[in-house]
Amino acid sequence: MVDYSVIGRRADAVRSREIVTGQALYCPDIRLPQMLVGKLLYSRLPCARITRLDVSEARKLPGVVTVLTSRDIPGENSYCYALPADQPLLVPDMVRYQGDALAAVAAESEEAAQAALDTIQVEYEPLEGVYDVLEAMQPGAHQVWSDRGNIVDHLVIDHGDIDLGFKQADLIIEHIYLTPLVEHAFMETEGAVAYRDADGTMVVYSSCQAPHRDRAQIARSLGLPENQVRVITPHIGGAFGGKDEAHVQIHAALLAQASGRPVKIIRSREESILTHVKRHPVIIRYRSGITRDGILTAVHAEAIGDTGPYLNAGRDVMNFVAATLSGPYFVPHARLESYTVFTNNPICGAMRGYGIPQASFACEAQMDLLARSINMDPLEIRLRNGLETGMLVPTGVTIREGRGMKVCLQEAAHLSGWKEHDKEDRKPAPHLRRGWGMASIWFSIGMGRNIPDHATATLEMTLDGSVILHTGAADMGQGAHTALAQMAAEAIGVKIEAVKVIGPDTDRTFDAGPSVASRQTFISGNAVLRAAQPIREALLQTASEITGLPLEILQLKQGLVLAEDELLSLTVSELAVKAMEQNRRLHADGYYAMEYPEPLPPNSYRYAPSVFTFGTQVAQVLVDIETGQVTLEKLVAVQDAGKVINPAGARGQVEGGVIMGLGYALMEELLVYRGSTQNLNLGSYLIPTAKDVPGLVVKLMEIPEPYAPYGAKGLGEPPLTPTAPAILNAVVDAIGIPLYRIPLTPERILAAIEAHHAENPPNGD
Amino acid sequence: MNEIEIHLAVNGIPRTIQSEPGCTLLEVLRDKLGLTGTKEGCGAGDCGACVVVMDGQAVNACLVLAAQAEGTQIITVEGLAQDGNLHPLQSYFAEKWALQCGFCTPGMLMSCYALLLNNPNPNPEEIRDAISGNLCRCGSYQSVVEAVLATVKFSQEARGG
Repeated sequence: MVDYSVIGRRADAVRSREIVTGQALYCPDIRLPQMLVGKLLYSRLPCARITRLDVSEARKLPGVVTVLTSRDIPGENSYCYALPADQPLLVPDMVRYQGDALAAVAAESEEAAQAALDTIQVEYEPLEGVYDVLEAMQPGAHQVWSDRGNIVDHLVIDHGDIDLGFKQADLIIEHIYLTPLVEHAFMETEGAVAYRDADGTMVVYSSCQAPHRDRAQIARSLGLPENQVRVITPHIGGAFGGKDEAHVQIHAALLAQASGRPVKIIRSREESILTHVKRHPVIIRYRSGITRDGILTAVHAEAIGDTGPYLNAGRDVMNFVAATLSGPYFVPHARLESYTVFTNNPICGAMRGYGIPQASFACEAQMDLLARSINMDPLEIRLRNGLETGMLVPTGVTIREGRGMKVCLQEAAHLSGWKEHDKEDRKPAPHLRRGWGMASIWFSIGMGRNIPDHATATLEMTLDGSVILHTGAADMGQGAHTALAQMAAEAIGVKIEAVKVIGPDTDRTFDAGPSVASRQTFISGNAVLRAAQPIREALLQTASEITGLPLEILQLKQGLVLAEDELLSLTVSELAVKAMEQNRRLHADGYYAMEYPEPLPPNSYRYAPSVFTFGTQVAQVLVDIETGQVTLEKLVAVQDAGKVINPAGARGQVEGGVIMGLGYALMEELLVYRGSTQNLNLGSYLIPTAKDVPGLVVKLMEIPEPYAPYGAKGLGEPPLTPTAPAILNAVVDAIGIPLYRIPLTPERILAAIEAHHAENPPNGD
Repeated sequence: MNEIEIHLAVNGIPRTIQSEPGCTLLEVLRDKLGLTGTKEGCGAGDCGACVVVMDGQAVNACLVLAAQAEGTQIITVEGLAQDGNLHPLQSYFAEKWALQCGFCTPGMLMSCYALLLNNPNPNPEEIRDAISGNLCRCGSYQSVVEAVLATVKFSQEARGG
């Protein structure tokens, strides 16, 4: 066992003192001289042709400085997360969802900006639109785009011989599963502040996950070279995928460019829910073949995702659904399909999990129904089929490190007392039923093959031995900066307190890619290690020269210089000064791009990822069969981390993920009626509070991942994923009635109980 | 619009504010006094990001009209630390990682501060009740409860009890 002195140990969160004292600046807190208030006019209609858009009166209002429409954009009028770049920044002619923006205004005050929006004259020809994903797939449906078709993508991942697989089955089971449209509800709504500095650079403070992509997009729409745009992330109040694509930062920059003054745009909560991408609602038809011994022979699963009217990350997310649908199991024959379908509903794209929560929900609910059908313990069916290192999965990838699946499964079973459940009280009162459920997941880390997935980090040692880490990786609260600082301290050999982190500023930090796909620990972590290595070597080389001791026995640890285990009377600062005198460089960049050394068989899934993490959760629920209320009493979460860099931060990621998963299971659903979102605030879109969260038991397993920094892999998204299916399986266990849809609202539970009783009248009544 | 004059004490400092009648306490704090530690998450009393302590009670500053704050004592997150020394709640929030993105943290801290003013020895259920109006999407609730319990223990030890 390697003895680490910084990683795996306690560290304060980077900039936590700023947070607890209220000094931390988020976009809404930034004030600049002469700053204007920016606002956007949103269509609020889901599908219409714009027949008139007149801003001339609005421009004349007192206090109104700038009003922009699509005609006033010097560069490209589109977001460009994915190609084709189909979503206009300001729509010229057609609105395709409620959140389409028509005009942008900058004014001296909030009131003047609102008055300008109210004065803009818009006339529409309302169009029928299409709001049901299955209807959108039919011939003759309203076309969201006249020239693209509503089915924007249909991916088929074929593996083995699906017909043979079903022939080998003793039993075939098919069900349809439904997941809801879900909102990120980050506590800080989207915001940006933009101004042009004296030298002509457009500076944009942006609450975002992808500062370098923001820079490219802003430059592209303003008609500037990228080096004339500088994007800085201040503190970010949560993101969860919802700030991956640009939101208002391009508009703020356009308004600042046109007005010549600083402009701040902060979305209201209602605007936030109305506009940004959501987690796809998905319909999944899942057909499995199984032997009497509980061995999977085949899976054919089809997922249909309503992606709204613009591409965004929709196709990529739905492809991840398909690539994940077979679950953390060995499935010899599979056909996994995803359809990405345009409608006039809210846009769907990245949200914590990126399609994997939907796929895992269907797969894990199905696994329990399979177990039931052959009278097998849900633990046993998972153990019999669970993935292992070296197994081939439907995407064509062979699992590099797969021990985590069964290790987590067995640990979760052990910690939850899985085998002892039947002894406990299943019916604590006449109206109450208790049940237990488990779910296991696999989760890919990184973007996947053939997608840019790289990062640079820069380290600099000063002459007093302290270190500055420059990283372009956005920290939205997930703790990337703290974990990277710990890895830098460990790799150079200084104390964590000696490392200062400079976060994303595209004039000062290199591209680290977006903070998505649970990738920064792995990718930026490796970049940090590569930057640290030459600095450590320069210091040790210098120490060897000073002491005359051989390099091999010298060590740097926590800022101490050691020869084997003996402490030398040398400080890092002395080494740094001496190294500099010897013309040794004490700063370095590290660059890392995700490695895929294993060849893929022909016709494999093009974006197949190769790094997987695993986890299992066990839920205990209490169901009130009279009210339909489900209470989560206890949840055990066991998650593979590869290596825990920061124990408190890692625990926070798992607990936070579980709580978000609890919301997904029990309460969260954005309600949209014919394209109009009904619950546009946090009083009607409910997320878990402190009162909803039970005792959580969290355990992190450490199975080192090849190629990963210290073996560590991502933790940001995976812990959310097993929670909803574990809870659903527990509810099914409690009431003895199969369920196929989340959230498990009281209405749905009661309806399922009533339907079951109608079909199965109690004997003797 | 006619402005009104409001007198209140913020973090112990008496203030006289000229404000539009519709102005909220949150706007006074953030826009007129530059105390941006208090956050706005919804503007509708749903999220608790703007919780401050008014005369010893936790309130959503977005729901309090400035005029209703006439003559009151307000404490915001900026008023917790004294002479550069963190309040124990702040120290334990940091130590226990009772925060992730930090946007809910000021409101969460003030709800906990008000709780301890009124109930110096709360149990975990009472802490959960006290923060049930503070949404944390990062899900740090469990650590917040631990930070408050640690603060209680520290305060009892400091008092010699």
